[in-house]
Amino acid sequence: MTILRLSDISKTYKMGDLDFQALKGVNLEIDAGEMVALMGPSGSGKTTLMQIIGLLDRASSGSYWLRGRDITTLSENERSEARNSEIGFVFQAFHLLSRQSILENVEVPLMYAGFTAKERRERAFAMLEKVGLADKWRNLPTQISGGQKQRVAVARALTMTPAILLADEPTGNLDSRTSIEIMALFQELNDEGTTVIIVTHEPDIGDHCKRVVRLRDGLNESDRLNPNQHRAIAVGMNAPNASAALRGAAL
Amino acid sequence: MTSIVRTATPEKPRAKRSGLSLPQTFTIAWRAILANPMRSVLTALGVIIGVGAVVALTSLGGGATGSITSSLSDLGTNLLTVSSGGGRNAGPPGLVRTGVKQTITMGDVEAIAAIAGIEGIAPTMQKSLQSKFASENSGVTVVGTTPEYETVRNSPVETGAWFTESDMLGRKRVAIIGYQVGQDLFGNASPLEQKIKLGNQNFTIIGVMPDKGASGFSSPNSQVFIPLSTYQQRITSELSATGEQTVNSVSVQGSSKEGLTEVQTKITELLAQRHKIEDANEYDFSVQNQADLLKSLNQITAILQVFLGGVAGISLLVGGIGIMNIMLVSVTERTKEIGIRKALGAKPKDILTQFLVEAIVLSVGGGFLGILSGLSLAYGVGSLLNITPIVTASSIVLAFSFSAVVGVFFGYYPASRAAKLDPVDSLRYE
Ligand SMILES: Nc1ncnc2c1ncn2[C@@H]1O[C@H](COP(=O)(O)OP(=O)(O)O)[C@@H](O)[C@H]1O
Ligand SMILES: [Mg+2]
Repeated sequence: MTILRLSDISKTYKMGDLDFQALKGVNLEIDAGEMVALMGPSGSGKTTLMQIIGLLDRASSGSYWLRGRDITTLSENERSEARNSEIGFVFQAFHLLSRQSILENVEVPLMYAGFTAKERRERAFAMLEKVGLADKWRNLPTQISGGQKQRVAVARALTMTPAILLADEPTGNLDSRTSIEIMALFQELNDEGTTVIIVTHEPDIGDHCKRVVRLRDGLNESDRLNPNQHRAIAVGMNAPNASAALRGAAL
Repeated sequence: MTSIVRTATPEKPRAKRSGLSLPQTFTIAWRAILANPMRSVLTALGVIIGVGAVVALTSLGGGATGSITSSLSDLGTNLLTVSSGGGRNAGPPGLVRTGVKQTITMGDVEAIAAIAGIEGIAPTMQKSLQSKFASENSGVTVVGTTPEYETVRNSPVETGAWFTESDMLGRKRVAIIGYQVGQDLFGNASPLEQKIKLGNQNFTIIGVMPDKGASGFSSPNSQVFIPLSTYQQRITSELSATGEQTVNSVSVQGSSKEGLTEVQTKITELLAQRHKIEDANEYDFSVQNQADLLKSLNQITAILQVFLGGVAGISLLVGGIGIMNIMLVSVTERTKEIGIRKALGAKPKDILTQFLVEAIVLSVGGGFLGILSGLSLAYGVGSLLNITPIVTASSIVLAFSFSAVVGVFFGYYPASRAAKLDPVDSLRYE
């Protein structure tokens, strides 16, 4: 089932009287349950495309269908609602709210969706359990490690059960061991059926995805399936995820 | 790979209502305010000071007006007051006026007494002195007057008796003390027949006035009455240009309310003639009745209210600009937070209410602190000046609603700026 279809997407940034075309007609179709790496050299337009997919930005031209819905016609409020319920973001710099506890951070999308305090608490706590951070729920983001912050961000991205999990260089600020842990988490979520798109310029991260889409200079360069997707084996991960990762690896 | 056990796609959560609720918005705003309490208080300082000043001034003003009005009606019925100085210089009786040349002579007093339609007349002189008994001290206002003061000014004693005509003739050193003077010097013991010192003169107490309540700047409870003749001989006297004894003021009681204006005119004509002044603008005396006094008091109150309204308006304007200023800074500082919230699904409306509510909480909180500090100031200053502040519910409600309006008005612009921020730009903001 096609979950996302972009056709002939272009994006022009205006800087004063100077125009810069970051995307020049990109096509992309992604099915539910895929795990796609969006790769390409720096400046090739990956983040720009990601922002358009994530409804943070609008394409200058082209069409975008998400779950069969034409996105280009949505109003500002409808886009906010779609961001809230269809998209889960994971950023390179984590982007947690620094004054809120970890649990409260995970609650934020639920809050904007209008859940009651009790519903939010339960749901957010379940998400923290899923990423193995339930015991840290009271902590502030400043009191946990980078890898843990990224897991909180993943928990927050998942809390509304989005159509797509979008991650822009999610391991960019992490060491290699922690990067593998996060990739294991993404693989586990994908195994459960979540559609994952990861923007990265690291080949190693791309190797962990089923499909690799490459951009260059704002255009599609290549689109390949990965015949032998690497399974991430996380060392020292918390119980539920570790076992899932190991189970996946053993097969 | 096909043998991986896949969990079913997780159920999508569904909320009963859509969007952010107001209590949640309040929680967010409250936490943002508490994140930096000092700065929040400083932000609201303009509103705190503005509201505080208005609450303090209105309740003190109300208290002062109330006490003056009630002491005016306690003065006696159908009362006229003749005093030195032109009409413009004249103030309410009981307030000691300085720098005005005394022009009412004892001859004037006798002449006034002869006018028809007068029930009684009581000339007075007064001076602030220290009174002493044993080791106790009390600051008093010594009033020299005649026995008629009792009826003219409606001032019967509670214990003892007023001095008499023969005390006047004999220039006796007898005194009637106010309630507070008795408390200060004698506590619960009876002051009657005791000897006290007024300045350096010994006086025997023959009467004590009832408690007239603490009322304003010159409390009647701190007065001590002695015969006018004794006053002129022992305390102080002032002679007019023609060498006659003068008095500070004369209280005149008319026989009827209706005839009072006529008596007022007669006294004015008489004094003009006696002082040989034709132009009314040149009069060196004034004749006032209670109605005039109440009227001028009301005028003062009205001016005070306009002035207070101005102070309130300006200080709330300044306070509002202070809030707007800091809210603009705060929106810039929290650009990234705004970007994150938008990425997670906050609508422009959600961001708008978040910052608007924050501004309102700041200014209403400022209003609340302002009311508290205004009330403490009013009661503090009131106890020093002997005024009981009058706090009306309407002034409190008004202060609250004004600060809320200020919050909405000055918070809207920064909040709408925050709501309009572009999510991509905000997320990239460092
Ligand atoms: N807001 C912007 N204004 C102007 N140019 C931009 C903006 N964002 C990105 N660009 C330019 O667009 C191009 C693609 O950027 P980006 O999508 O961030 O690339 P990538 O993520 O692949 O490194 C770059 O040349 C970048 O300089
Ligand atoms: Mg990028």
